[in-house]
Amino acid sequence: MTWVALTLLAFALGVLAQARVRHPLMNPTLVATVLVAGTLLLTRTSYDGYAAQVRPISFLLGPAVVALAVPLYRLRALLAREWRALVLGGAAGTLVGAGADILLPRLLALAPEAQRSLMTASVTSPVALQLAPVTGAPPALAATLAVLSGLLGALVLPPVLTRLGVRHPLARGIALGSVAHGIGTARAREEGDLTGAASSIGMGLAALLVTLLVAVLG
Amino acid sequence: MSGAAPASLTRALPAPVRFVLGLGILTGFAALGTALVGALRLPLPGSVVGMGLLWAALSLGVVRLHWLEAAADGLLATLGLLFVPATAGVIEYLSAGAAWALWLLVMLAGLLLGAGVAGVLAARLVRK
Repeated sequence: MTWVALTLLAFALGVLAQARVRHPLMNPTLVATVLVAGTLLLTRTSYDGYAAQVRPISFLLGPAVVALAVPLYRLRALLAREWRALVLGGAAGTLVGAGADILLPRLLALAPEAQRSLMTASVTSPVALQLAPVTGAPPALAATLAVLSGLLGALVLPPVLTRLGVRHPLARGIALGSVAHGIGTARAREEGDLTGAASSIGMGLAALLVTLLVAVLG
Repeated sequence: MSGAAPASLTRALPAPVRFVLGLGILTGFAALGTALVGALRLPLPGSVVGMGLLWAALSLGVVRLHWLEAAADGLLATLGLLFVPATAGVIEYLSAGAAWALWLLVMLAGLLLGAGVAGVLAARLVRK
């Protein structure tokens, strides 16, 4: 029970830190992970023991992934009106991004667990975690790489998109959401409602598309 | 808000009860998706299938948005918490050391290529 309390409090601390320092690296999940991982290392607690204790938190992932249908359903009017830009743009981006995440690790002959974990780096972490049994990735590595990929995307993509001349809010949103999932969507929301909405759609479609891609390859 | 009957019984429920109802429905769809995946031996996570089923149920009007939106918004607002138990497992991969630089490089390439293609294509397809 101690570890459940510590995990909840570390996350709350992360949210408070984010409210004080507006920077993509001040991400509540990242802050909580550093605090919890640090405490595990300092107290020489085994990860397996920790994971068994905090199972009540992990359990809620299933219902939370199902809940992703709600923002997608709310945005159905936008999706119906701009489906060409959102669906075609998002699908192309997700496939190219996931394709690079699948092919490059093979070309570089990375360790097998890294190859399998990188396959799902471009989808939202809960989905990456639920896909781990399908890809054969270690769940912890798959979830961590997905979080880091989202953070990296939120940091580097907005200026790159501007350089590429991508100025339309819907196009910027779909680009962020289709490869940088939840963390990219949080960053997209800072640019405006329309960018955030397009990013949510991109994240939801990427979750479905990468799931199918992994199912076909697996 | 969906086009449900006005002053419906479910809308009048106290907020905490509606939260429990919503959590029950979301968990039910996760269980339904998991059962379906198991029965059909699909290589998919049950929760993603559940998400697709819920989207269909909402679109068909079988499930009303107000039954579950409080629970869904609550869960999604704290989504980042739910995978901390998994990401803390990074302590098992600290020994990978220098390989982390390559992993980050691969992700950066995927992000730039994917977002570049999505952004440029979407900007061309968007209706003004």
